[in-house]
Amino acid sequence: MSNIDIKNLSFSYQPNVPTLENMTAQFEVGKFSLLVGSSGSGKSTLLKILTGLLPTFGGEITRGRITIPNQLTVGLVFQNPNHQFTLDTPRHELEFVLENLRTNPSEIPNKIISALSFCEVQHLIDRQFNTLSGGEKQKVALAIVIAMDRDIILLDEPFASIDPKSRTELINKLVCLRDDKHKTIIIADHDLLGYQSIVNNIYTIKNHDIQTLLHDEGRKLLTEFEQQSPTINCTKPASNSSISFMFNQLNISIQNHKLLNQVSLPIPKNKVTLITGENGIGKSTLFLSMTKLMKYHGQITLANVDIQSIKAKKYARQVALIFQDSENQFLTVTMREELELSKQHRKTNYFNDEVIKECLTKLNLLALLDQVVYTLSEGQKKKLQLLLMMIVEPEIMLLDEPLKGLDINSIHQIIQIINGYRGQHQQTIIIISHQISGLNNFVDHQLHFERQHLTYLETHHES
Amino acid sequence: MNPSFKLILIILISFEISFTRSLITNCLLIIICLLYLIINKIPTKTLGIILLVPIVPAVALSITIAFFTPAHDYHFALVLFTRMFAYVLLGTSFTLINSPLELARSLEQNLNLPSKFAYGSLAAFGVLPKMRLTILTLQKAALMRGIRLSFWSPKLYFKALLIALNWSDELAQAMISHGYVEDTARTYAHKISIKHTDWLYLLVPLFIIQPLLLMLP
Repeated sequence: MSNIDIKNLSFSYQPNVPTLENMTAQFEVGKFSLLVGSSGSGKSTLLKILTGLLPTFGGEITRGRITIPNQLTVGLVFQNPNHQFTLDTPRHELEFVLENLRTNPSEIPNKIISALSFCEVQHLIDRQFNTLSGGEKQKVALAIVIAMDRDIILLDEPFASIDPKSRTELINKLVCLRDDKHKTIIIADHDLLGYQSIVNNIYTIKNHDIQTLLHDEGRKLLTEFEQQSPTINCTKPASNSSISFMFNQLNISIQNHKLLNQVSLPIPKNKVTLITGENGIGKSTLFLSMTKLMKYHGQITLANVDIQSIKAKKYARQVALIFQDSENQFLTVTMREELELSKQHRKTNYFNDEVIKECLTKLNLLALLDQVVYTLSEGQKKKLQLLLMMIVEPEIMLLDEPLKGLDINSIHQIIQIINGYRGQHQQTIIIISHQISGLNNFVDHQLHFERQHLTYLETHHES
Repeated sequence: MNPSFKLILIILISFEISFTRSLITNCLLIIICLLYLIINKIPTKTLGIILLVPIVPAVALSITIAFFTPAHDYHFALVLFTRMFAYVLLGTSFTLINSPLELARSLEQNLNLPSKFAYGSLAAFGVLPKMRLTILTLQKAALMRGIRLSFWSPKLYFKALLIALNWSDELAQAMISHGYVEDTARTYAHKISIKHTDWLYLLVPLFIIQPLLLMLP
């Protein structure tokens, strides 16, 4: 069978600044291909070119071409789940999609049900998208591509906010699609766990170019990643440790759907606490309650003071929420302006110009200072967002999926920057993350969210 | 009732009461709309808010006409007062009872409007609540960086505008990636038909209201 053929492809968003340069590669039809590369290397760009969204929506192919054989159709699951729905609920979106494909109306209901149940999200069919968690949206997005019955399925970091169990299940389903329906799967991911036995080909994007790894090179890459991860050692907090947050009789629900019912829970001060749990269990909603963006019943105290009695401005400077969607954090247009804004409100002089420059260099952002924040890649947005919020030095940082879109090297750099600051200043950190690769030695405690309850886990892994 | 027909009926009635001065017809319209809303179980709180909204402009306008014009036309002042409420209640009767999606589908299928227009206006409906949430989030995000953005801050709205522009681009990409192609035929998951009763519901009220508007004071 012929292949998806990329020949001497050069693509740039701005004249003379190539994102992809003279790229040549072939993706085998009917196979499972994995695309690896650091944040901002051009993975999403390549996938969007394959889908035809680029250069329609910006940029220019300056050279070369892409050939997709036999008029095979292409479907894409976007990296940012908030960017891919037109209507308000999964049912309406799927109806819209199938209408577009001129599906016979009598077949539409069955197709909708079978696509949703394939991804095990049929219970979400009539939920509003804005009440779904990031991971749930990604599963629905995948169901839509499946309902569209595309020959080539492209997935742009689809698992970044999906819990490990669902991730494994979904990867297995993609394998079924390849084996039973001869679909071509191309997936971009930073988290390389779970691909060892299933992937056919591995490609890396680096310095604007793509490389097809030989079989052994690919295996080596995956094995190396598996070895350095992903177990974390954590203990239960000591009973005499000082406490930052304390939950008393805390009840949180969303649209009559009960999420949390916690009698009492302390969160230790100056420690790093990781919250894990399945998609849609209520982790992000808990953060919204802790930052007073969402109503709750019961009491949350911070250093023994009810957070409702702390003035909004004062509280916001103490407790910062690092949103799951980076764009929510931005207030101006370019990166330089964003940094200036954060610099105005530093509490100490730790993040002086020199340190900031050093951070930008570490995070590979220095060359992008004048770029509009919205045009950055998802990974670059995430790195900028984290840096901006570190500069304002909150006493407590609530990080909601901070590793989304980040390659392992960027994760190490971010942790180094946070640790550098925490070496000199006190800071409590609470993280929601499904991905734990790269977090070992950083996390002190782990809270597991299950059945409306948070429990501290004790894990000891011999390393 | 067919959503497109209902929209046409409400636009026509609103248009007509704009150019006539029948106090009694306005009052009748208000009563009919109120009954319609109550039958359709509108929450009391929502109804209360909706009735509060036009009070200030209605009072201001009628006082101006009644006391500060040479004619001191009290009748016209009352007409204007009731007209405000009639507009708001007519609008509410439409928007609260019909889902925007149903309207978009009906516009596309029954009035043969381009699907681009139907789904474009649908997206605009969806943006409003999203915008409210975004503004709240923006304020909070700013506060976390030490900046207070008040509700009248131009910075807040500049940013909101920027986000909205960005959305429109994202929305277009989402539609295309989900198989939408402009100006091509689509099938319809739900066929929205025009029944004989729809014509009745449209024409009967229009016939009834004409003599009322012309004859009643």
